[in-house]
Amino acid sequence: MTQSLVLRPSSSLESVRAVLEDLAARDHSGDRENSGLTALQHIPARPAEYAPMPDWVRPELAAAYTAKGVSQLYSHQAEAAETAHAGRNTVVVTPTASGKTLCYNLPILNAILEDSDTRALYLFPTKALAQDQLAELYDLARRLESPSEGQPFGVFTYDGDTPADARRAIRERGHIVLTNPDMLHTGILPHHTKWTRLFENLRYIVIDELHTCRGVFGSHLANVLRRLRRIARFYGSDPVFVCCSATIANPGSLAEQLLEAPVAVVDRNGAPAAEKYFAFWNPPVVNRFLGIRRSYINETCRVSREFLGRGLQTIVFANSRLHTELLLTYLQNDQRPAPGQPEPVRGYRGGYLPGERREIERGLRDGAIRGVVATNALELGIDIGTLDAVILAGYPGTIAATWQRSGRAGRRTGASCAVLVASSSPLDQFIVRHPGYFFSSPPEHAFIQPDNLEILLNHLKCAAFELPLDPGEKFGSADLPEICAHLERSGYLHRSGGCWHWTQEAYPADTVSLRSVTSDNFVIVNTAAGEDGEPEIIGEVDFPSALVIVHPKAIYLHQGQQYHVDRLDFDQRKAYVRPVNADYYTDAVRYTQVRVLDPAEEERVAGPAGRAHGDVLVRSQVVGFKKIKFWTNENVGAGQLELPENEMHTTAYWITLERALVESLPFSVSERQNGMLGLLYALESMAALLLMCDRRDLGTAIGERPPRPGSHAAVATSEPAEDAGARSVPKLRDAMPVQSQSPASPRGAREFFEPNLYLYDAYPGGIGFSQPLFDLHSSLLARARELVASCPCEQGCPSCVGPSPESGVRTKQVALAILDCLCG
Amino acid sequence: MRSLLQDRLSRVAALRPVPASSARISGHSEGLPAAAEELARMVAATPLRNSHGECLSVRRWFDGHDCAPSLDSALGRLLPSVPPEALDPSEWLFLDTETTGLAGGTGTYAFLVGLAWWDAGGLEVEQLFLRDYSEEHAVLESLAARMAERRVLVTFNGRSFDWPLLETRYRMTRRIHASPPAAHLDLLHPARQLWRLKLGSVRLMELEQHVLGPLDWRREGDIPGALIPQAYFSYLRGGGPEALSQVFRHNQMDLRGLASLAARLVALLTDPGAATSDALELYGLSRLLERRGAPEDARRLFERALAAGLPEEADRAARRELARLAKRERDFDRATELWEDLLGETRDGLDAYEQLAIYFEHRARAPQRALELTRQALASLRAAWQCGRLPPAVYRRLRERLSRRLERLEGRAHARLPAPELFASSGASHASNRHPVSSAPAGAPSSARFGAKTG
Repeated sequence: MTQSLVLRPSSSLESVRAVLEDLAARDHSGDRENSGLTALQHIPARPAEYAPMPDWVRPELAAAYTAKGVSQLYSHQAEAAETAHAGRNTVVVTPTASGKTLCYNLPILNAILEDSDTRALYLFPTKALAQDQLAELYDLARRLESPSEGQPFGVFTYDGDTPADARRAIRERGHIVLTNPDMLHTGILPHHTKWTRLFENLRYIVIDELHTCRGVFGSHLANVLRRLRRIARFYGSDPVFVCCSATIANPGSLAEQLLEAPVAVVDRNGAPAAEKYFAFWNPPVVNRFLGIRRSYINETCRVSREFLGRGLQTIVFANSRLHTELLLTYLQNDQRPAPGQPEPVRGYRGGYLPGERREIERGLRDGAIRGVVATNALELGIDIGTLDAVILAGYPGTIAATWQRSGRAGRRTGASCAVLVASSSPLDQFIVRHPGYFFSSPPEHAFIQPDNLEILLNHLKCAAFELPLDPGEKFGSADLPEICAHLERSGYLHRSGGCWHWTQEAYPADTVSLRSVTSDNFVIVNTAAGEDGEPEIIGEVDFPSALVIVHPKAIYLHQGQQYHVDRLDFDQRKAYVRPVNADYYTDAVRYTQVRVLDPAEEERVAGPAGRAHGDVLVRSQVVGFKKIKFWTNENVGAGQLELPENEMHTTAYWITLERALVESLPFSVSERQNGMLGLLYALESMAALLLMCDRRDLGTAIGERPPRPGSHAAVATSEPAEDAGARSVPKLRDAMPVQSQSPASPRGAREFFEPNLYLYDAYPGGIGFSQPLFDLHSSLLARARELVASCPCEQGCPSCVGPSPESGVRTKQVALAILDCLCG
Repeated sequence: MRSLLQDRLSRVAALRPVPASSARISGHSEGLPAAAEELARMVAATPLRNSHGECLSVRRWFDGHDCAPSLDSALGRLLPSVPPEALDPSEWLFLDTETTGLAGGTGTYAFLVGLAWWDAGGLEVEQLFLRDYSEEHAVLESLAARMAERRVLVTFNGRSFDWPLLETRYRMTRRIHASPPAAHLDLLHPARQLWRLKLGSVRLMELEQHVLGPLDWRREGDIPGALIPQAYFSYLRGGGPEALSQVFRHNQMDLRGLASLAARLVALLTDPGAATSDALELYGLSRLLERRGAPEDARRLFERALAAGLPEEADRAARRELARLAKRERDFDRATELWEDLLGETRDGLDAYEQLAIYFEHRARAPQRALELTRQALASLRAAWQCGRLPPAVYRRLRERLSRRLERLEGRAHARLPAPELFASSGASHASNRHPVSSAPAGAPSSARFGAKTG
């Protein structure tokens, strides 16, 4: 994979090269494919493509931009501004720091200057980004100020921090209102009559960082936008949407799904880029049998030191707050400030105060700060100037996020470098061992499911609160008359004068969070918190996870501290915990049963096997737990639990292994069972990779293929069931994240006749993963096979088919054998 | 067989029935709710037609509501600027709505709009009711007509609740407009200033009971406000009319209470001396007058309230306020007298020490006395702190100010110098320059200003 280094003299280039050569030289493992520097990619510099300022731009606006140093546009800026100016919905897809904001500010400010009644709404996923934009717009307003008429437009942020007394002025005078989807949902739409001026004149809506609008959040946002367009129609306006996205595979279709309207895609980037190196670093293996590698956190530290030591300005991305703090501590230890000088390495994450963040951003721009350890808080478009190197501690989870983070180095000129240090998770291992996949694949698709019934209904309630629902209206694919009749029977709506009206005292938006499917959460109460001994709420878990994570006697991990769950109050939705120091963690034993309700598509494929997707009912129950010792993974105890059963209607994709395939496997019954579970583990990892989702977004289960659709599917058992009939209580290895390390050990397992391997959406109603997985069937299997085949472990490890339960079980071999059949 | 959609709907959490109302849900039928006619009979309502359709109207005249004879001087004390319409009692329109919730926003409806005005020595009440949501436009149209006839809106908390809600309703119609009132008198705020100390709460019902004296009507068989939205919802879904007829009566009583309260307020503000002899009411009135920039009247009423005998805490607060007013008018004899009364380990008592020390240091030129008072003040402060009577921030601030004063006074005493001429006169001249400080925010402790200047 290593390419020839074409080097031009440049001090940063020399240093980058020196670091990389050092790293390569230090790699003595002899296993070049699997550890050390597994890839070094050179990305050549790209020149800028310019376009003139469009002639419709008013002279004073052009002059203001010229004064800022922008006298001509990059080609993509001109193209996007043109389509937006022409009144077409537009999505701009370009990498970090390519001047995206100009794409929408130019046509929108021009429209405001043409007609000062024009209003625009900007939606940013975070408050910090809105602040960043505010500064840019203030600057333009100042440049456009005339002595006689003052500033030509008003721009304000409107979010939870906006003081109540400022809100009225914003509603009346704000030409551009910067807010976030959550505020639009709870603060603006339910009070639209206070925003009459804005809605009557709403010509543009900007959605920045569109690629973050996927999964649950994106599905919610699509519904918020349905409500927004509905209100705009009520006031007689039909706004044009301008969206910006980092590079993903399907920006156009994502935008069209969100907006439910045609969208012009602008994706030919005209911004220049300097040359760059991208390196993959896999920590050396220390225990080959168990597949254990050196800690990637320590390795990240080591790599970061190389760059910092040569005076290269470096940003280190970690995937959690905890790791951010850990890395910061290590790096600050060896990068001591000179006496009287500020700390040269700083941390940056959510939870830091805004003032502190601004100071760090400034320090990075002017070079006073030499290194920063950050979470994804810095991933989104906050301006921190040009850095020399980006170190990623662990794969960020998606190709798109990886490119976006790496874009933090070498924004326009000079050479720069990005290094990915892999952890031992299957995703990380797959990526660093298959650099070709990463460098040649388009980034992931972003999927949403705006018609998820649970989500849609919640927004339909909000919509009815905002404006009575007319049965002739269209709200996604919803069958409005039938759903509204249901809502009427449940006491939410009342039909009068041909429309449905809201009949509740409560304000529905308050109970609908855009970040989860149901608002049903358990709170975790630490009964021995603080010095004052007052109980303190330390966290929340959503309903589906609660029974698995905070069942009675569970060890709950929070910010690195262990807590023992003393009591789970199911009715009050509270888990009472206290801090403990235990040498074990707990692993819930969960029965999961999947029943196929309605297959949407089915097909026979190689194997012989079948693939299908459709509606399923997932019933699960936590029946007990195991205590697993840290480090050794020994089972040191168990317990029984009596908890309510949880039922969820969702969507799934599944593979059916036909009898002929199962029988062709030259392994024992228990080995086959283990192999199927291992295969499912690998499939889940690769599905998360292909879907651009979190592993927790998917659940897995195995069950006997039902004789015909709609009937019961039996499920994998770990103990022989009393009878083999349809009523047997099934049992399955749990698929929730906390338990993913646990060994699957179905001893004495009953053989499946024709098993179904299910991958289901872990949210009620489904979130849109099943059909894409069905479509991606062959590529999913190919990836899984690559993952398992290339893993250097012997019996299976957490990086491929899951941890090996005990020696002599050929999990990995069975999984590979099945994959060979399926891929054949 | 149930459809897949029905099957799904039955599992969706978002559709879980609302606990309170599920019992009464019955089948839906087109047309008006089942109990509409019976309700109209019970409350003696007649249909009202206008260009936007039909709704119900209930009209009733109540005896025993005299309007205030003269509004002139009273209104000057209630409103910053008095539009001419407001002075004419025939322009007054009392308004109180019953709504489907308190949350506000676009999904909250005013299903009953109660209006009232003084007429023929009594009160004419009109209630506009939407028998169903479809009649909202008709109600809003009629309300707009009434508001055009009477241009001054009088409400209780209507400035932040009823009127914004109605404005939202008008905007939702996109075609019916009500011209905004020429003036809006919200009695909540003056009532709060006047009676909170007396009653602790200023809900309209409490005020009726305790302020308006013996009324010829009482709230019997009243429905609690919290149940009102459910009463309407249950009627809409086919429930009986009983609970809702109570809501009509509740609204009538609210309007009568509102009119009586308005008359009482006007009377109190027109001639405070004659209207009451209740100590707490006098005290409330004096605070209101002080805030409205009538310090002389306020001072007179403070004195009367003190003479009538106030409870301990109110007595201290009244003395403090009065001392401040006296000082502002340079009546130092009365001011020092009041401070002497106040001395002690309370917050007001500690402030009084400081005020006296300032007075003796700068005005009476008796630094020795000032020094003594400052020492006593510090001792009392410590005692108050040890008993836990002061919040830490107050304690620290006072201690710092008093310690500075002590240091300065002690330094002067050691130097055996007379009180420096310059300092004293500068202090006095400051005081005379700054006063009268009638524009100063009411209630700001005057000691803070003095302490900052001289310390």
